[in-house]
Amino acid sequence: MELASQHRIARRRATVLAALCASLCSLLAATGAAARTGEHSSTRVTGITVYAAASLTDVFPKIDSGPKYSFGASSTLAAQITQGAPADVFASANTTIPAQLFAKQLVQRPVVFTRNRLVFVVPTSNPAGIHSVYDLKKAGVKLVIAAPAVPVGSYTLQVLKQMGLTSVLANVVSRESDVRSVLSKVALGEADAGFVYSTDARTVPGKVRVFKIPAWAQPKLTYALAVVSASGNKAAAQRFIREVLSKAGQKKMLAAGFLALPKAKSKR
Amino acid sequence: MRKALLALLYFLAAVVALAFLALPIVAIFVHVPPGRLIDQLSNPVVTDALIVSFKTTLIAQAFILLFGTPTAYLLASRRFPGRSLCVTLVELPLVLPPAVAGIGLLAAFGRFGLLGSSLSAAGITIPFTQTAVTIAVAFVASPLYIRQAIAAFETIDPNLVAASRTLGAGPARTFFRVILPLSRGGLAAGEALAFARGLGEFGATIMFAGSLQKVTQTLPLAIYAEFEVNFDVTLAISALLVLISAAVLISLKLTSLWQPSEQISSSRFARLSWS
Repeated sequence: MELASQHRIARRRATVLAALCASLCSLLAATGAAARTGEHSSTRVTGITVYAAASLTDVFPKIDSGPKYSFGASSTLAAQITQGAPADVFASANTTIPAQLFAKQLVQRPVVFTRNRLVFVVPTSNPAGIHSVYDLKKAGVKLVIAAPAVPVGSYTLQVLKQMGLTSVLANVVSRESDVRSVLSKVALGEADAGFVYSTDARTVPGKVRVFKIPAWAQPKLTYALAVVSASGNKAAAQRFIREVLSKAGQKKMLAAGFLALPKAKSKR
Repeated sequence: MRKALLALLYFLAAVVALAFLALPIVAIFVHVPPGRLIDQLSNPVVTDALIVSFKTTLIAQAFILLFGTPTAYLLASRRFPGRSLCVTLVELPLVLPPAVAGIGLLAAFGRFGLLGSSLSAAGITIPFTQTAVTIAVAFVASPLYIRQAIAAFETIDPNLVAASRTLGAGPARTFFRVILPLSRGGLAAGEALAFARGLGEFGATIMFAGSLQKVTQTLPLAIYAEFEVNFDVTLAISALLVLISAAVLISLKLTSLWQPSEQISSSRFARLSWS
């Protein structure tokens, strides 16, 4: 009796072990296959990790699905790179953060690659009845903006200052950690209004109404990217940057609503 | 010989485990000189977050005690159909990812939520307020208290309760003079754990209540917000939270109210959940 049950346990163990081996083998085969397709396709850069601004979440994988991506506030990503995060490319929603990292020799010389526009969005239901940027001053409006260290947060402060609307800051109910968190709070209808990039507003069609900000109040909103100095694969990182700057890459950026660089600047 | 080898293996495993657990905590304190840590504590970001954290956690604790204690007593002393379902429900927030708790709270209390839509019709909006922080803390912390309280109530000898009743004490008097004093060790332990968990609440809060200094930015949210601004401040807040958590545990041990072997036996919880 005792022996029989021991035998059963042993047999069960063997089955489990066999199943484990089988799944491990298929996993290895799958990763091997993935690596092979990567080698053959010339448009995919694999084996690198790209740290990119949250506003690039949708467009970068369309340009190249090869790299591993980590999206977040440019400021958060910069802090992670400063702490030694394993990034190969850093793409920021402004030029100041890459310039700071360059000064600390944490990244190589940054290149600008696209521009964007700041807008503000309200939920389609528009619970606070907002029809212009001046309505944001109304008492009780629940305004959500990004934290000042986050690029979109600092752009928001610049716009409000430029328009003489700093009083609306009294209506801020939350300072979110990145642009997509601002967007989702508005898209959910929990916030009455929020400042985001025009490209982000496009990712939730039907959920938000977009209000433009006059051109004279628009801050200079340029994106820059750079190879991370500690990268173990700088050649592939360079290849990815060239791909973003290429005609095909830029076409995809434009299709996602990003703005072309001014001619003189793109060569810098 | 084999025995000695086994003992050595136990010892090595313990050294690895203890070093692994201690290293990050030690690192928080030695990363920058202690003087610089203490300087950062007077930073308004830290003091504001401290006030928000303590205010919301203490209010949440009051509600947890007020509603959790009778709930736990009911679940511990009565057997009724659906009891195990209730116990599982109580324990669920404990294992739920905080992000799920945040989504759930939004879906329930958000402006377009199950309950929130009628509340907002009445002119009450919860998200982005200190009430939202308190609700998030209560949601994630109450299971720790209620679970521990059920265990504490279940260890009481029913004969003592019966004796109290036969000696003429009413149910209320029995509860406050016999049951509560007998279970106070377990209740205090549960309360301390719930307090520490509440103070550390992050995921549900950032989704449901947002983050605004002086209003909804608790200590963990301040760590997240300052991470990219001032690393020293995040270290200072982290050190503070380590000290508070350690103080909670140590004070419990010193007052000898902590009864680990009885109160956190896993078999008891296993029996509890599925009985």
